Amino acid sequence: MPLKHTKWITVFIALFMVLPIFMGLVGTILPAFQFFPPLGEYTFSLDPWRNMLSQGEFYASLKLTLISGIGGPLLSLWLALSLLAWGYQRPFFKKIEALLSPILAIPHAAIAIGLLFLLSPSGWLTRLFSPWLTGFERPPNWITVQDPYSLSLIFALVIKEMPYLLFVMMAAMKSIQGRETLQACQALGYGRLTLWRKVLIPQLYPIIRLPIFIVVAFSLTVVDLALVIGPNTPSTLAVTLYRWFNDPDLSMRLMGSSGAVFLMLVIVLTLAGWEIMHRLLSHITRYERSNGRRCGFSDNLLGSGVVLGLLTLFSAFSALLLLPLWSVAKRWRFPDALPSKWTWDNIERAAPLLMELTSNTLIIAIFATLIASVFSLVMLEIKRLSAIKSAVPSEHHVFDWLIYVPILLPQIGFLFGLHVLLIYFDLNGSLCAIIALHLMYVLPYVYLTLKGPYLAYNEQYLQQANRLNYHPWRHYMTIKLAMLRPALFTAFAMGFSVSIAQYLPTLIAGEGRHSTLTTEAVALAASGDRKKVGSMALLQALFPVIVFWFAQVIPARWTKWRLTIQCFFSKDKKCSA
Amino acid sequence: MRKTLILALAAIFTSFSLTTHAAWQDTLDDAKGQTVYFNAWGGADNINDYIQWAAKRIKEEYDVTLKHVKLTDTSDAVSRVLAEKAANKHNKGSVDLIWINGENFRAMKDNDLLFGPFSHDLPNYANYVDENARQSLTQDFGTLVEGMESPWGMAQIVFLYDTATLHNPPKSMQALLEYAKANPGRITYPEPPQYLGVTFLKQALYETSLDKEALSQPENTVDFDVITAPLWKYLDELHQVAWRSGQNFPSSAEEMMRLLDDQEIDIAINFDVSGASVQIDQGNLPDTVRTYVFDKGTIGNTHFLAIPYNSGVTSGAQVVANFFLSPEAQIYKQTPTVWGDLSVLSYDKLSKDDQKRFDNLPRGIATLTIEELGSTLPEPHSSWVEALEKEWRKRYAQ
Repeated sequence: MPLKHTKWITVFIALFMVLPIFMGLVGTILPAFQFFPPLGEYTFSLDPWRNMLSQGEFYASLKLTLISGIGGPLLSLWLALSLLAWGYQRPFFKKIEALLSPILAIPHAAIAIGLLFLLSPSGWLTRLFSPWLTGFERPPNWITVQDPYSLSLIFALVIKEMPYLLFVMMAAMKSIQGRETLQACQALGYGRLTLWRKVLIPQLYPIIRLPIFIVVAFSLTVVDLALVIGPNTPSTLAVTLYRWFNDPDLSMRLMGSSGAVFLMLVIVLTLAGWEIMHRLLSHITRYERSNGRRCGFSDNLLGSGVVLGLLTLFSAFSALLLLPLWSVAKRWRFPDALPSKWTWDNIERAAPLLMELTSNTLIIAIFATLIASVFSLVMLEIKRLSAIKSAVPSEHHVFDWLIYVPILLPQIGFLFGLHVLLIYFDLNGSLCAIIALHLMYVLPYVYLTLKGPYLAYNEQYLQQANRLNYHPWRHYMTIKLAMLRPALFTAFAMGFSVSIAQYLPTLIAGEGRHSTLTTEAVALAASGDRKKVGSMALLQALFPVIVFWFAQVIPARWTKWRLTIQCFFSKDKKCSA
Repeated sequence: MRKTLILALAAIFTSFSLTTHAAWQDTLDDAKGQTVYFNAWGGADNINDYIQWAAKRIKEEYDVTLKHVKLTDTSDAVSRVLAEKAANKHNKGSVDLIWINGENFRAMKDNDLLFGPFSHDLPNYANYVDENARQSLTQDFGTLVEGMESPWGMAQIVFLYDTATLHNPPKSMQALLEYAKANPGRITYPEPPQYLGVTFLKQALYETSLDKEALSQPENTVDFDVITAPLWKYLDELHQVAWRSGQNFPSSAEEMMRLLDDQEIDIAINFDVSGASVQIDQGNLPDTVRTYVFDKGTIGNTHFLAIPYNSGVTSGAQVVANFFLSPEAQIYKQTPTVWGDLSVLSYDKLSKDDQKRFDNLPRGIATLTIEELGSTLPEPHSSWVEALEKEWRKRYAQ
């Protein structure tokens, strides 16, 4: 991209990102220290912190947050790495790859409701074996979901995060020449899992570090998933904060704000601890990795991960397939494994609303993702140019960490500050505001997906073209972007599904005046009605699945189609041959 | 002498009603063409449909556009008004009318986030509402209403059970505990601070407490620990034999109905007296489910409509609130296949025709009559709610 004034563009984009982050932070930090004019609080004090620290519930929730927020990502990473090591470059693995997109696309709340129906004592698994095997005429009084150790929450987190990590890893494999390394190591006699552990994973990790951090931050702060399937009495810290923020006693918000600030600290400390542990681990295992042995004991770790990973994927698909069944069920009672009465009523009742919701959802998602794609391209180009200019590797370009701040921050609290900013600028309640807020959450995913392929692009093609005929913009579009088409489409699909799933940002920026499929689905999920959630979730998942499917199908056939169309219009005789 | 007095009084009355009439006409004129954003919980299809019906009628009758903003939680709207106040947006706020009661109302009233008083000026309120009929019309969860919100409907705690599996449902808190001991894992209640859960606590407090007089006093003027000691003892015993051993609690009335349908629990609690009939109709409950109340009565309350202080269309919002109080809207609302929510109008103040319409309303198969619902128990003083919630979470949520 023949960009000029890169400095100004950098400043502009940085400001565009810093301002909302700054306002969100101010809106969280001031109330955390008692300063909150709308409630008549004009003095600073530490009272909110004292109140929070005197709550027994705070410590109990914190413990649960740490268990699920660290356990979930650890398990996800382990299982994703194991599956990748086991299946990479094998033909059947391509099919699993294609199946990942529905899981990436479906909103958290819907997955949680599906899982709840699969695993709860009156759920589908028990129904399948009752009463003929278990003897249960009625569901047993077990705690298989919402358990006090947050195991079911961890399971739900793994189901949602493992596919994402797997997706990112497969994209990253292209930039570390995975196939070549694999062949070289196999020729040297390394076992498949051993060579992954010793050679490929250490190369892969630095590239996927940020996605892992996103997963950790997400697991520590998730609300909707934890509300449905997480423990209650006590809940995780994020849910407890959410309750404090929603408490009719408005002064509880002060305590909630200090909790939100504390949660940010927890994220920072956890990520720091994670990084230290990783360095420690790679230091300890360095000797073992380079001892030349062709297999090792810890290969079993990857082996067992494969089994668990497949089990996880299997239950994710069961949950996904069961939910839509509810949308055509009239009566479906324990212990029936299938509905006893069927009906179209549920879908018919929802149909008129769906048209309006669908158009809103698509407009927001398409615009937010398109803008995010353009932003990402500009930012990546600036990053590439600055890498050429400076001798120091551009690992620490300002964009690289700036865009992750919004998704690393807990949405509760932060979004309240942002809302105040929107009202100041009189932007609240418009579609533009929703798109802008979505942009904040879509941009990191698009940027991240695009970064590897974009920076790895061989500039020689472009330079050569420009030497022959100097049309920098046209060549940028028709050569570089055309060659990056698969990556662009994947990034678009990723951003699109992230936008579709946004709940709080849509609600806050749109002031509830613009409903999307997700706001409607979460409103319905509030009533726990599986029938409605079933039909909503189906539709919500449908669009991202289509877009992901396009992302796989279109780039491969683009040129063929383009030429066909061109021929059709130009009526060139050469084509008909 | 007497005649002149009567004449004078009559003159005062007519002029009074004339001025209020003129004032209301101004409101109607002002409201024409306005768009009212009505923030109301959107978790139930039948209620959403009812609001759509009202929107159509209001457009026809008053040229006011009503838009339903579906909330998952009323506090979302409270939060929005608060954010607007923080940004000094004191007019043209995003919330024009809000479905509210209890603690959310108290929070908004205490923090000057409401427009009003307005409800006494609504013609339908003056004509059809009898404030003495129910305490909850003037005291919302113990907070004085003082015209800051307009009543919309009435609710009362009812219990749902499946007659196919349960023949003699327990009709007092003590009987409920005994039932739970005989059938472990089949009894539960929503997790406080969910309002239905708090109401269950209040019901249990009322039935277990020895000093019922003290409950009408502010909680800090009496010995909270002594008065609530029997309640905690009761709950300690109940939780040991409760659903999932008291480790989990359902989050809402809807979840309780789902658990009842799944046969995980035997008794569901609900505030919506016709909830069971509606759910049976939609296939979410078996048609053997019936409703009952405790022998000594259950706690009831009223839900309201309020207008935030920074709404730009207060006239339109009042027109809407007034329409919702009309006999037409209240009769349609009480129709079991529509919503089944109880009317707030005084039967005696209605015209003969409207009385007949109320009489002719069909009843859902699982809906109790007003007589069967029996008397409602008085609410404890509003300060008890927060104290009970805090103590409950301290004891059972950490």
